[in-house]
Amino acid sequence: MIEFFAKYFPNVVYQGWTGDGGWLPAIGETIYMTFWSALFGGILGLIFGIGLVLTDSNGILSNRTAFNFFDKIVSFFRAIPFIILLAFIAPVTQKIVGTQIGTTAALVPLSLGVFPFYARQVQVALESVDRGIVEAAQSLGATYTDIIFEVYLKESRSELVRVTTVTLISLIGLTAMAGAIGAGGLGNMAIAYGYNRFATDTTMVATLLVLIFVLLVQVTGDFLARILNHRKK
Amino acid sequence: MAENIIELDNIDVTFQQKKRKIEAVKDVSLHVEKGDIYGVVGYSGAGKSTLVRVVNLLQKPSAGRVKVNGDVFYENLNGKETVIDSKKLREKRRKIGMIFQRFNLLNEQTAVENVEFALKHSNLKEKEITEKALKLLELVGLSERAKSYPAQLSGGEQQRVAIARALANDPEILISDEATSALDPKNTIQILDLLKDLNARLGVTIILITHEMDAVKRVANRVAVMEQGQIIEKGTLHEIFTQPKQQLTKEFVGGSLEAIATLKTYHLAKLQENEKIMQLIFTGATISEPITIKLYRDFNVEANIIYSNIEVLGATPVGTLFVIIKGIEKDRQAAIAFLKEKGIVVHQIGEEELSND
Repeated sequence: MIEFFAKYFPNVVYQGWTGDGGWLPAIGETIYMTFWSALFGGILGLIFGIGLVLTDSNGILSNRTAFNFFDKIVSFFRAIPFIILLAFIAPVTQKIVGTQIGTTAALVPLSLGVFPFYARQVQVALESVDRGIVEAAQSLGATYTDIIFEVYLKESRSELVRVTTVTLISLIGLTAMAGAIGAGGLGNMAIAYGYNRFATDTTMVATLLVLIFVLLVQVTGDFLARILNHRKK
Repeated sequence: MAENIIELDNIDVTFQQKKRKIEAVKDVSLHVEKGDIYGVVGYSGAGKSTLVRVVNLLQKPSAGRVKVNGDVFYENLNGKETVIDSKKLREKRRKIGMIFQRFNLLNEQTAVENVEFALKHSNLKEKEITEKALKLLELVGLSERAKSYPAQLSGGEQQRVAIARALANDPEILISDEATSALDPKNTIQILDLLKDLNARLGVTIILITHEMDAVKRVANRVAVMEQGQIIEKGTLHEIFTQPKQQLTKEFVGGSLEAIATLKTYHLAKLQENEKIMQLIFTGATISEPITIKLYRDFNVEANIIYSNIEVLGATPVGTLFVIIKGIEKDRQAAIAFLKEKGIVVHQIGEEELSND
């Protein structure tokens, strides 16, 4: 087995499991970046998505100024290509993390890069909740908190899982670019150790691992979306 | 006279759409007495739904006064607007149940959870909330489906869950916004009878918005007819049905218009001299009297029945008769006076109304 790999994937074996440039750290970095930026970006995206729906002209807290605030910020960050955002946001990253490079530093641009995308997706998911159900809740004397959690979030939970899956997958794509600021990960492995060194086998294996990662997210997401859905198909 | 539980006075509702102003409700006043089942009928777009949403301020009016159960929810009579505080409004809303055309249940929660949702802010303990929710489902005849999700229930069952939910906080008022419009005839009747039963057993006042006159005939005791944002006619069910004044009301109650439409399809022979077409409307007790025989014997007036129909309003049967009466002017007048004295509503129908051309 090892001989087989050594013969056909010499560069993959050369990278080794551990140590600098090893496969395990690369996988770990990708998971690390995806997890934390999904968490920070996700919370931010949820807040903005909910904000957009509530303050919209037919929302329960309709407020033009607040809506414009959410809307403009989301549009602004969505408009910046991620690779430029990495550089553009560097001074802020320096302030927050203390350094501009490395895996942890990448969390700042990653979170900011993914949140506007997620916010729009959350907005669409929440808007799929029938306005009549919100009205019924209001007629029952429900509070704003009830309406946000029990009506908007709970009613759209299956849709939310679906858009979260889509967002996570695009986030994995973004982490590959974070290699540009020395964040490591599988994307960096594919480019820095694979492509730049003409080690096609390394690029292939790194790609394959990203693919497996994406597939896992997709399958889990689809499964959850299905079991959480009690609405009419 | 019973006290008014809902008082809507001079209500205006105006929507600003781009540059256009849309007056959905114009200067409407509506008073509902405790224990009433008040039907509000009209075609879609007449402003019925907008008007009743004013009762629990789901729709804030632009002018007028909203008073529910003694509390002023909204007042704007001379440009100064006062609106009830939102925390207080939420508490008051719990005493005004509402059911909808499309049920509006929480799809990701079971039937019993839907009812429990309404009880979230009651002072009951969690266990008591479940108990009460189950009891309410039993009240609407759905105890076996407590664990079902709305998508697993039929339309009629979903509306029952919605009724249980609307009744959760023991409301004094129940607003039904086209609640039977999405249901088949059998379920419609069952839901209407359930509403009537709840009105009788719990004394809950009901506002019934509908475009189906049959629903109103079945359960309401008072009726208002709306057109283009205004109430064009209102009164007891019996008044509206037996003596409709506005053209639209006549269309809704059917009765005479239907009869005339039917009669038009026949080619009636031209009326003779001394012949007149009359519409007679009987209610309750008078329905069983042998009127035609009496007319002939006592007044020397012949009555030839050309159309008849019986409908049930609430629980009272109401009969409509179209007759051609024949007799000299003096006898006819005396006969009509006699009929009116008997409590029979008499309308003379012009010949041209029935002519086919």
